[in-house]
Amino acid sequence: MVSRIREQFEASEGELATPAEADPKPYEVFIQLTRGQPHTHAGTVDAVDDQMALEYARKHYGRDQECVHMWVVPREAIMSTGYDDDLIWPLTDQGYRLARGYAADVRRKWERFRSVKDVDQYQAEDIKETF
Amino acid sequence: MSAGETTTEELKLDWGIQEDPDRLAEFQRRIDARELVEVDDWMPHNYRVGMLRVAEHHANSEIVGALPEGEWITRAPSLLRKLALIAKVQDEVGHGQMLYHVCQDLGKPRDQMLRDLCTGKTRYHNVFNYPAPTWADVAMIQWLVDGAAILNQKSLAEGSYGPYVRTMKRINMEEAFHFKSGEDMVLTLMSGTKRQKQMGQEAFDRWWSPCLMFFGPPDKESTKTGPFMQWRIKTATNDTLREKYVDRFAPAALALGLKIHVANKNPDGLIATKPDGTLDMIEDPLIRLDDKTGHWGFTQPDWEEFYRVIGGDGPCNKQRVALRRFSYEQGQWGRKAGLGCAGLPPTRN
Repeated sequence: MVSRIREQFEASEGELATPAEADPKPYEVFIQLTRGQPHTHAGTVDAVDDQMALEYARKHYGRDQECVHMWVVPREAIMSTGYDDDLIWPLTDQGYRLARGYAADVRRKWERFRSVKDVDQYQAEDIKETF
Repeated sequence: MSAGETTTEELKLDWGIQEDPDRLAEFQRRIDARELVEVDDWMPHNYRVGMLRVAEHHANSEIVGALPEGEWITRAPSLLRKLALIAKVQDEVGHGQMLYHVCQDLGKPRDQMLRDLCTGKTRYHNVFNYPAPTWADVAMIQWLVDGAAILNQKSLAEGSYGPYVRTMKRINMEEAFHFKSGEDMVLTLMSGTKRQKQMGQEAFDRWWSPCLMFFGPPDKESTKTGPFMQWRIKTATNDTLREKYVDRFAPAALALGLKIHVANKNPDGLIATKPDGTLDMIEDPLIRLDDKTGHWGFTQPDWEEFYRVIGGDGPCNKQRVALRRFSYEQGQWGRKAGLGCAGLPPTRN
């Protein structure tokens, strides 16, 4: 059943009667899921100013997921690298600047001096999560 | 942001300040609940200053620590070691940049921190006041000093200030590389010729006591431990960390065939010689595992030497600060070029 008000309008065709409107500015939204953790990218909102962007972000991404903090950044303020034409991590072997580049060798060398059990105990203090 | 509200003149510890008791209690509740404090949160004045001091001292240490290592880049014994050392020095300076940022957000402008380091108003870690005369020293530093730094920083990563804790986690990832590469160097040296092993032993003798001092004076003499532990700016006492360090490194050193000595040093930071020409040192009689406590015994380092070196009268204090000052003054053209010919931005000091 169609409402009375809608019945009174005639369906129009062709170009819209209202003028074309400009999109507001895009803002990238970053959310923090728990205190102390880094902010991660959640998505985008369009807004005319910073306050509105924060308000939209709050209402959209702040309701999607439990989170405790938020940043909004005008997309135009973000500088970025390219993918194919812009190499960030060199293609040559970078093992010399990573712990894992040495790990197997170091373990083998320690085992020439100490028992497996002693090396295990000594390495228990190593930092576990490496890049 | 609070940076604009606090002038650097006010950034001094002041235990006479009466903080709002309700806010203070709420702050302590959050710390005890292991919540992290963020830059815009309310914090007691002495927390801000204490955190700033720790982070600034740490930042200064990263920058100054890169100086003795940088000197060895051109003399690295192989291409792999040279690449690794360049990467390490780059990492250390990068740690300085991240940590200075933590400090800037706590209220002290970066340029002022760089200047205070050059003029001796602020300090850096005492361990960098000792010389590294051979390549074996570079190896021992990367094993023993970076090993000490990781142990200390793992405890700092359990702290309460969010920006510092996150920076610490990132720094520790890179320290893991420094440590592994240091172990590799030491293991290679100690698997080598008699002469190489001797070099390793001599370097070890120079670095063992500065590494014991690394964790700071004994708890009974450490004045800042109380409130800083309560606010989790520090999470482990100096003596606890030192004990953990010896438990890990003493048996490892012995297994490598190294001897642990108690030595007297000359003003150049090298082992002193006795009138008969022999080195003025003895094997540490206390080095052994105590079956009852499960901890290794060791002779305390010379704490008088520690206070003397911290006070400015160490083997390399003048040299390190002079080099930093030289780079700062000579680097002005670089900052000018980078920041615009119109001149440097107006200082916030």
